Amino acid sequence: MDAKQLSDGLATRFPGKILGVDPLDGTLGRIRFDPAVATDLFRSLRDDYQFTHLTLVGATDWIDHREVFYVLWSDTDRLYLVLSANLPTDAPVIASSVPIWPSANAHEREAWDLVGVKFEGHPDLRRIFMPEGYAYHPLLRSFKIHEPEDLEVKVRSD
Amino acid sequence: MSSVTLYSVAYSIAAILLGGLAHLFPAPVHGWLISGDVVTALATVIFAAILLAASMLNTILLIWYERKLLGRFMDRRGAMHVGYAGLLQNFADGLKLFRKDTVRPGQADPLGFWLSPTAYMVTSLVIFGLLPISTGWNGGSLPLTLLLALVIFSFAPLFIFLGAWASNNKYSLIGGMRSAAQMIAYEVPILLAVVAVVVLAGSFDLNTIVLEQRNYWFWAPLFLALIVFLTGMLAEMERIPFDLPEAEAELVEGWNTEYGGMLFAFFMLADYLRALVGSILVVLLFLGGWTLPSYIPAALTSFPLAGIVWFMVKTYLVFGLFVWVRASLPRIRTDQLLRLGWMRMVPLALLSVILAALVVLARCLPLIGCVPSMGG
Amino acid sequence: MTHGLWNLRVRIEGEIIKDVEPEMGYLHRGIEKISEDRHYNEIITLMDRTCYVAGLAWEHLFIVAAEQALHVTPPERAEYIRVLSAELQRIASHLMWYSAFVQDLGLMTPFLYGMRDRDLILDLFQSYTGGRLTYEYMRVGGVRSDLPLGFTQRCRQVVDWLMDRFVEYDQLCLSSTIFHERCDGLGVLLEPEAVAYGVTGPMLRSAGSHRDLRKDRPYSVYDKLQFQVATASTADVTGRYLVRMEEMRQSVRIVRQCLDWLDDHPGPVMAEHLPRWLGAPYAPMGNESYLLKRNYPTGVGLSMMEEPHGEAGAYVVNDGGEHPYRVKFRSPVLINIWAAKRYLPGYRVADIPPIMGSVDVCVGECDR
Repeated sequence: MDAKQLSDGLATRFPGKILGVDPLDGTLGRIRFDPAVATDLFRSLRDDYQFTHLTLVGATDWIDHREVFYVLWSDTDRLYLVLSANLPTDAPVIASSVPIWPSANAHEREAWDLVGVKFEGHPDLRRIFMPEGYAYHPLLRSFKIHEPEDLEVKVRSD
Repeated sequence: MSSVTLYSVAYSIAAILLGGLAHLFPAPVHGWLISGDVVTALATVIFAAILLAASMLNTILLIWYERKLLGRFMDRRGAMHVGYAGLLQNFADGLKLFRKDTVRPGQADPLGFWLSPTAYMVTSLVIFGLLPISTGWNGGSLPLTLLLALVIFSFAPLFIFLGAWASNNKYSLIGGMRSAAQMIAYEVPILLAVVAVVVLAGSFDLNTIVLEQRNYWFWAPLFLALIVFLTGMLAEMERIPFDLPEAEAELVEGWNTEYGGMLFAFFMLADYLRALVGSILVVLLFLGGWTLPSYIPAALTSFPLAGIVWFMVKTYLVFGLFVWVRASLPRIRTDQLLRLGWMRMVPLALLSVILAALVVLARCLPLIGCVPSMGG
Repeated sequence: MTHGLWNLRVRIEGEIIKDVEPEMGYLHRGIEKISEDRHYNEIITLMDRTCYVAGLAWEHLFIVAAEQALHVTPPERAEYIRVLSAELQRIASHLMWYSAFVQDLGLMTPFLYGMRDRDLILDLFQSYTGGRLTYEYMRVGGVRSDLPLGFTQRCRQVVDWLMDRFVEYDQLCLSSTIFHERCDGLGVLLEPEAVAYGVTGPMLRSAGSHRDLRKDRPYSVYDKLQFQVATASTADVTGRYLVRMEEMRQSVRIVRQCLDWLDDHPGPVMAEHLPRWLGAPYAPMGNESYLLKRNYPTGVGLSMMEEPHGEAGAYVVNDGGEHPYRVKFRSPVLINIWAAKRYLPGYRVADIPPIMGSVDVCVGECDR
């Protein structure tokens, strides 16, 4: 399987939803997709293309949008694949991949905690590193580490 | 065997002291001071003081011994800096603990919290009054010394549980419960192993038990009982592999989590006192006490206080065995510990009682009509 | 829990664990955030602190991703030195794990043996990086300095000594009945579940999987080295012990091959023509355009590596600036701890220390 095959296959399955493939060293490539088809795309990748391992979920805050990226690994082909989807800054929501890859659970919690991307359908979308009730998402560009910040943290009572 | 006894030493000291003191007073007081009753009373106090000092000193020496030995097992040196080869390190540690504040948690019960370490310490010390170290070197000779010593020895879980409960800390409580369960479970095999010894010796008196071993030490016929007794003692002392009440990975420090400063030192000292008692009991019951086999040259057994010297050597060797076990075994789990106690140790102990009875019978076989003279 | 700053909330019924909830974040230092304000070579300092028992492995991880993002190729000798460092670090990290693990079981002696032997490796590190725990040794484009004279000889002596000690470790643990009583059949996580939960590293290999990125997707110079992937089939605590022990032996094998190669191939350890802000000692004449940061090409770097705790990843986005735009790390420990929901319930409270001990927790890396 090479990048061309994969992107063509996916493009026929999800017409108009695969926005492009960038080469990325050491991987099959970086596929940009439309977040609307996230769940179907994930399921197709796992079931039809044997990307059984979800290695990494992360998010980046760009100036005009937020990007979610997924790193997948196919044990049969010994290949990595990077997926990436752009979300609007005002509504950073994408379907959760936990139903397809349970290992996404902690990654998505982290992405929510640090970058503020909401994963719909995540069973337990709480903060993971920051305390509950913390007002910020620290990895956003609008969060300045040098500015004094108001540290009113609601401490969990349990 | 030397004719000097601990009591005679204490009596001589008392007599010398009172004799010197009496010269300062006029005749009536003088006469009263050197009268037998007063000397006896003072001798008893001095006797107790010597016992206390000796047991504490031995305990501290034991801790040093364990630290050095453990250090060697672990490819390091142990305590090195205070005193020669770190001999005084424990005194320094004790001093440090003594100077520390003893903090009682606000929610802890004061009576139980203070009583527990004190009672634990006192009961452990009292046993020393009962254990003969050599002929005549014991606190008092009762027909049932061994039984009494074991009874006092088994007070410990009560006080540990008391302290754990009074601490009002869940880790302490779990540790205390584990400790109580463990000690009670292992008292049964210990007592059964002791029964085997008693059957063979025909007495509960420790002096008699040692003297009965003049021909052969009891570990040979009662090897099973020795193994049971050693294992049980390990559990009673809460040493690795049976130190679950203090399993620091899951229970912080077990039942003494909340104790600090001098109270902690009390627990620690009492633990080692009990370890010393355990080692002494092993020597008394199985390794011939202060006696040595007859093939040992007389020069090695006839110098003054030879009995005490050999006794201490044996005791420290037995304790060294415990240290060796500690250095090489991991910790066992509660359910495994109890299963081992009830399902392995108790049957083994019962078997050793039967073996002891058979040995007694075999001893009598040549004499027709012999009735084993048991228990006086 | 031991092994650092984290909590494990356990719901129990009697002695049996019903549910667990790991709580992390007590050691969160915002390394990904700080990285956004730092030069690439300044992030290396943070990498040592990310996982403080496997600093060089994490430096390697980040450097490879950064080089990919910045389009820099290091000289081969630097690659060998990096692999050598990473493998020595793997041994040191596993020794640290061994020490902590046996101490959870109540074994004091092997704990000290493990720490003693780890110190020998730290001595080696000290001799060529100057540091014992935080090294700051690797650079974008190579490594900071070449190995000192006589290093390969000393290193060989150390690994020879270690090979003998591994036998001793096994004797201390595997020959003890109590060890097996405490470890056999505990914390079982079978391969399909491990894959689903994202568990990697020795935990996955103890379930019979052969997944090892050094073999599956050779990075650096691993494709030129001979070694085997250590696996076990029991998927329990003992299996993880066996896998890590075997991994240390294989690491020694790799270290020896690296030393042989390094002996025969002297050469530069730093790439030439690096922009000055990347820490090249001298900017080559005629390359001043590199000094204008906006002229530098953009790119994305992804490196996935078999780190001592499992599969670690670094995702570096270079937008053409002096600082990376975004750095994202995959922490194997975070996922391995999180999967405790799967492998802890059903066992006893007293089994938590050996099971969690067998995971090899490094909280610094987990919280970042």
